[in-house]
Amino acid sequence: MAKLVASADLANLSKLINFIVEGAKHAGFDEKKVTQIKLASEEIIVNVMNYAYRGKEGDVEVSYTFHDDGAMEIEITDWGIPFDPFSLPEPDVAAPLQDRKIGGLGIYLVRKVMDEVRYKRIDDKNVVTLIKKP
Amino acid sequence: METKFSVTFNEGVAKIELSGRLDATNAPLLQEELKKLIGQDVKRLVFFAKDLEYISSAGLRVIIFAKQKIGVDAQVYLIGAQEEVLNVIKMSGLDNFMVISDSYDE
Repeated sequence: MAKLVASADLANLSKLINFIVEGAKHAGFDEKKVTQIKLASEEIIVNVMNYAYRGKEGDVEVSYTFHDDGAMEIEITDWGIPFDPFSLPEPDVAAPLQDRKIGGLGIYLVRKVMDEVRYKRIDDKNVVTLIKKP
Repeated sequence: METKFSVTFNEGVAKIELSGRLDATNAPLLQEELKKLIGQDVKRLVFFAKDLEYISSAGLRVIIFAKQKIGVDAQVYLIGAQEEVLNVIKMSGLDNFMVISDSYDE
């Protein structure tokens, strides 16, 4: 399992995403799927950076592993306030632009581009799991 | 591809040139630029995306922001978007509310 920990600061966003993207590329995911993995990872990591620690400092950990069938399993962990991003109501994607609410769009995209998403609260950690099939 | 953007406004038309990526790291900067147009009579919001390689929800929110805060009555254009960017726009349903085209007709 490959793992990287950094402080939950937007300055570290590119580093954390590149770590996951390189893993996906190395495993042979095509360009389209790599972009989808990148998108989903960004959405979850940015959520952690913006909300998990309520302005206080804290860490975010990303790790990934591969299943026997080649699927990539990504875990994004923080030690912030308990929060299940998948508990958010889905945005109304049929609503005209002027009526759009700002929230929920990122998580909606995560669900769309990943094959499986999970959230677990384990002890004092929020753990989001994203799975992408080859 | 270098990540940069520019915003120009002339005779009711706001032109926003995008290249590289539009994500959580730079979307707030673009939003700040666009805020300068608040109060102008914007009839068109034209996003040039030929050189844009990647957009996340942070980028989508800037487009929604532009429509809601700058040009409620403005028509939104997306010009020359690559497939990956277009896919994200379509997933979020924003394609139904903008003119999507390969080139911009003045």
